[in-house]
Amino acid sequence: MAILRYIIPVLLSSVLAGCYEDFNPEIDTKPVLCLNSLITAGKPIDVQVTHTWIFNDEKSERNHDVPDASVVIFANEGIVPPDYLPKEGDRIRIVADSPTYGTATAEVVVPYATPIGKVRVSPVVKNIWKGEDDFFHYEMFADITFNLNVEMDVNDPAGTDNYYHFGYNWFGTDTDGSPTLSVGQFEYNSEPIFKEHIGVFETVMGNDEDASFEFFSDRQFAGKTYTLHLNFSDAFYRVNSQIYDESLLDCGLNLCLNTVSQSYYNWAVYKWNVDEGITGDLSDLGLAESRWGYSNVSTGAGVVAAQSSSEVTINLKEFLKTVLNNE
Amino acid sequence: MRLFLLSIMLCVSTVCMAQKVTVRAVDEPASVVFRSIVEQTGKNFVYSSELLKDMRVSVNVRNKSLKCTLSIIFKDSDIEFEIRGRNIILKRKPKPEKWKSDSPVAVVHPTVPQYNGVVPEMLEEVVVTSRLEAPAVETAEIGAKKLTAREIIDTPVLFGESDVVKALQMQPGISEGQEGMAGMHVHGGNSDENLYMLDNVPLYQVNHFAGLFSAFNAEAIRYIDFFKSSIPAKYDGRLSSYLDVRTRNGSRDGHHGSFRLGLTSGAFNIDGPIGKKTTYSVSVRRSWFDVLSVPMLALVNSSDEEEKIRFRYAFMDLNARLTHRFSNRATGFASVYFGNDILKAGSSDKKVPEIGWYDDYKTDLNWGNLVAQAGLNYKINSSMTSEFTAAYTRYFSGMKHEWLSKEIMYDGITESHSISRTRNNINDWIFRADFDWRPNDENRVRFGGNYILHSFLPARTDRDYRIGTTQILTRDSTWTYTANEANIYLEDDWMISEKFRMNAGLHMSLFNIDGKTNYGFGPRLSFSYRPSENWAVKGAYARTNQYVHQLSQTYLSLPTDQWVPVTGQFKPQNADKISIGGYWQSDNRLFAASVEGYWKIMRNLVDYRDEYYLQPPTEMWNAQLCSGKGTAKGIDFKVEKLYGKLTGHISYSLAWSDRTFPDKNGGLTFPARFDNRHTINILFNWNISDRVSLNAAWTGHSGNRFTLLPQVWESPEFGNSYSGDESPLKTRVNNYQLPFYHRLDLSCTVRNKRGYWTFGLFNAYCHLNTIAIRRTHNHANRPVFQKVKLLPVIPSISYTWQF
Repeated sequence: MAILRYIIPVLLSSVLAGCYEDFNPEIDTKPVLCLNSLITAGKPIDVQVTHTWIFNDEKSERNHDVPDASVVIFANEGIVPPDYLPKEGDRIRIVADSPTYGTATAEVVVPYATPIGKVRVSPVVKNIWKGEDDFFHYEMFADITFNLNVEMDVNDPAGTDNYYHFGYNWFGTDTDGSPTLSVGQFEYNSEPIFKEHIGVFETVMGNDEDASFEFFSDRQFAGKTYTLHLNFSDAFYRVNSQIYDESLLDCGLNLCLNTVSQSYYNWAVYKWNVDEGITGDLSDLGLAESRWGYSNVSTGAGVVAAQSSSEVTINLKEFLKTVLNNE
Repeated sequence: MRLFLLSIMLCVSTVCMAQKVTVRAVDEPASVVFRSIVEQTGKNFVYSSELLKDMRVSVNVRNKSLKCTLSIIFKDSDIEFEIRGRNIILKRKPKPEKWKSDSPVAVVHPTVPQYNGVVPEMLEEVVVTSRLEAPAVETAEIGAKKLTAREIIDTPVLFGESDVVKALQMQPGISEGQEGMAGMHVHGGNSDENLYMLDNVPLYQVNHFAGLFSAFNAEAIRYIDFFKSSIPAKYDGRLSSYLDVRTRNGSRDGHHGSFRLGLTSGAFNIDGPIGKKTTYSVSVRRSWFDVLSVPMLALVNSSDEEEKIRFRYAFMDLNARLTHRFSNRATGFASVYFGNDILKAGSSDKKVPEIGWYDDYKTDLNWGNLVAQAGLNYKINSSMTSEFTAAYTRYFSGMKHEWLSKEIMYDGITESHSISRTRNNINDWIFRADFDWRPNDENRVRFGGNYILHSFLPARTDRDYRIGTTQILTRDSTWTYTANEANIYLEDDWMISEKFRMNAGLHMSLFNIDGKTNYGFGPRLSFSYRPSENWAVKGAYARTNQYVHQLSQTYLSLPTDQWVPVTGQFKPQNADKISIGGYWQSDNRLFAASVEGYWKIMRNLVDYRDEYYLQPPTEMWNAQLCSGKGTAKGIDFKVEKLYGKLTGHISYSLAWSDRTFPDKNGGLTFPARFDNRHTINILFNWNISDRVSLNAAWTGHSGNRFTLLPQVWESPEFGNSYSGDESPLKTRVNNYQLPFYHRLDLSCTVRNKRGYWTFGLFNAYCHLNTIAIRRTHNHANRPVFQKVKLLPVIPSISYTWQF
């Protein structure tokens, strides 16, 4: 339990805090264009163009679209059509213009996908319940709980600053269409690189305990191979079929290593800081500097990011087969 | 009646009778005033120990003969004096006169009980005295202030915790920074630009309790010399101001002490003689928070069957000093200061389950300062004294977080253990020699030098993760820096004529670190022209250099603050400051007024760059920083009433302060956070009777600057948890000025035979001041801006028992 995380706000609010008072600051400020886009190699570019608004402007509509905006996309300094499929290494520049809100530009380079190296999988069975114990007389019945420890090598290319986002999903379907596999709890604590953005002060405040941050950089292993420790606890495989069909054992995980642009990584770190970090709380109380949203758009509003993906599949069929046969 | 001779064989001076004396004291112990006279004349005082018991003196003379000065001091007392050779013999008059009401020129209160534990002491051969004894109209210094322990104790403050820094915050040109904190921003400078010297040794950590209290125990202090405009050549190493804090020697005429119990802390002081030649003085202060939290935590833990919570916070400081008189020429001392804050917290499951999870979290924060020093005050000859000091000082701050987790299953236990820690240390070995030479009546030359061996560990972070059989260790690339610093200085306080006075000096320094040597050149000049007895016009120039700086991610004083040296791409900070001033005092010296203007430029300032937090903590500590400059200008007005039952001052400051950093605010100049355009301070001390005194302090200033982010934009939807919501739009740094700040603090001291009660009211009329603006949603879920207001009226009470 992050006791300090609770005690400090309590102290500040009960001992020191007086009160809050609504008010309307009079600051002369004008809305500007906002660009948001996540460019993925091999997929069409989608750009959201909106405008900024005064935070407490009650007249402001929920829809902040800009109907009169025009968007031009440049790839490697040349204008490309809207259905252009960006390639790794492309320098993409997006220019949006609105007679009402002015112009906004942003530029990003689509990173090269980083190949995934060796992947080592170590499943550890925790609990099994098999068909012969089942009184419904299914021909195929199993309920297996296991931990899945995966070591995945990231072969970081030398010469560039690389930023990564790790993702995963799983597959496997029962005869009735329900999933047979769930990977359970992903243990972020098992991989310290997911906490490289967390300072000790944040750790002391307990802000790393609930961390579910999947971004990291190559600052600590630039140009080398780094092994990610990816642990899934309490994964379970569950199937119940009146007909024995080995294809029901076809299940597994897809591990994605997205090489992302620096803008994407910075955005994620910013969000973690304001949403989870103690300094975000302190700045709300005027005890630390205010933090504005990270942006790589010329107007200071929006994020234009890019990513390329590498993927590896872990099939658990042989593992499950062995477990069932040995039981 | 036992007579004992307090003989100080300072020198054989044949011109003693011709020597002039300048002394200023307000209700000071007689021994303190006599020290100053001893130092200036070389005469010894001889008197009965009972004669001066509890005697306090108020006097204000300049360039008067010794005889005249003594006549003024003892004018209304029952004491008479006789100057005989090198001795001044004091004895009681045959028919003691009744004590009369106070006079603005000289007052002796033989019967007033001692107030702050300061008692008459045996006179010593070489005594370090304040260089600010004379009134401002008579010196060459601008923006200098001598603060006594009594003035500090009389300034009403939060929780009634007497505070050096908070007493100084009432002086013009000084901003307190964050409300309630013991911060000090002098003439538009940053909080790390003030040098706090404790008996000639620099301190780094000067705050307790996140900055609410300063680290100086007021009851251990003899006096403080504070300089903010014209900086004497002796001082360098910070850009904005210098506090020379001197602690008390022990009493020679018996063991005395006090015990104070307040809402937040308790303090114990004792001093006295050890044999005939040695004295001791010990002061300890410790907070009570952890004691108070024990029953609260016990209640919480008793109601929770599953989890046990731990929490403890405490601060303490210790001052201990031994003084030994080797001979009539030499006095040695050894002292220790230790100040420390600790915060421990954690929680653990009360039972280890048969099947399931068990967690244990521990957090440990620890920060403070240690100073150990030994010194010798030596009278070389009739005109020259010296002070030699050897010291070790250690600044430390650390944070540690430990997490132990067990997953207990049927087939075994998986144990996870993680430790994260960061440390920031500075170890200094200091050797210094200071000389004070008076070749004639017109000149006073001070010179000296010091060598400091620094060892800096800016901030080292270690992480140790063990999950099952897997262990992962990471450490950032920070290393320890060794630095050599040397300083020499020379200054002459020259009374050119009755009307002209000048203090000219030079401070030179070198700072060698990381194979690179930086040089600092600090010329100092201040002069005064005194067209009449009551008026003076002054001017000053000072260049100061700074080789270490403090980085703070928050406005609280926490272990996250790092003291780091100038290294890498960063250059030493320096500042040029020009000041002019006009000074007036009334004929009876009851009132004084001053106006001081200044213009300051600060170069190579260091600050966090925009969005510095995007750099991970494992990066080099200086990757998050940028370098820039700042300017400050302003005028300080002050009117004082110096003597009588009602004393105090009213001051007004008009000030501007800004910063320019290439990597901050898009390279555009922005106002400093504490760019308070108008500041008014009013401080009154009213001694209603010998038993009761009232103190009031009102402060009002233009609001602090704040970065208000009025616009927001739609956050991107990138298909993961770091999407959605709205984000504030970047704007100019410190673009908004918070509302006018004002506050009244009151305190009342009621004395009895055994001690005194102090009652305090912080923010007496409960004006909640705005310290920030936040964006939030109100009860109707509408987006609103809200003023964040802190610190309502806070009463305090303490009792000090004296023995």
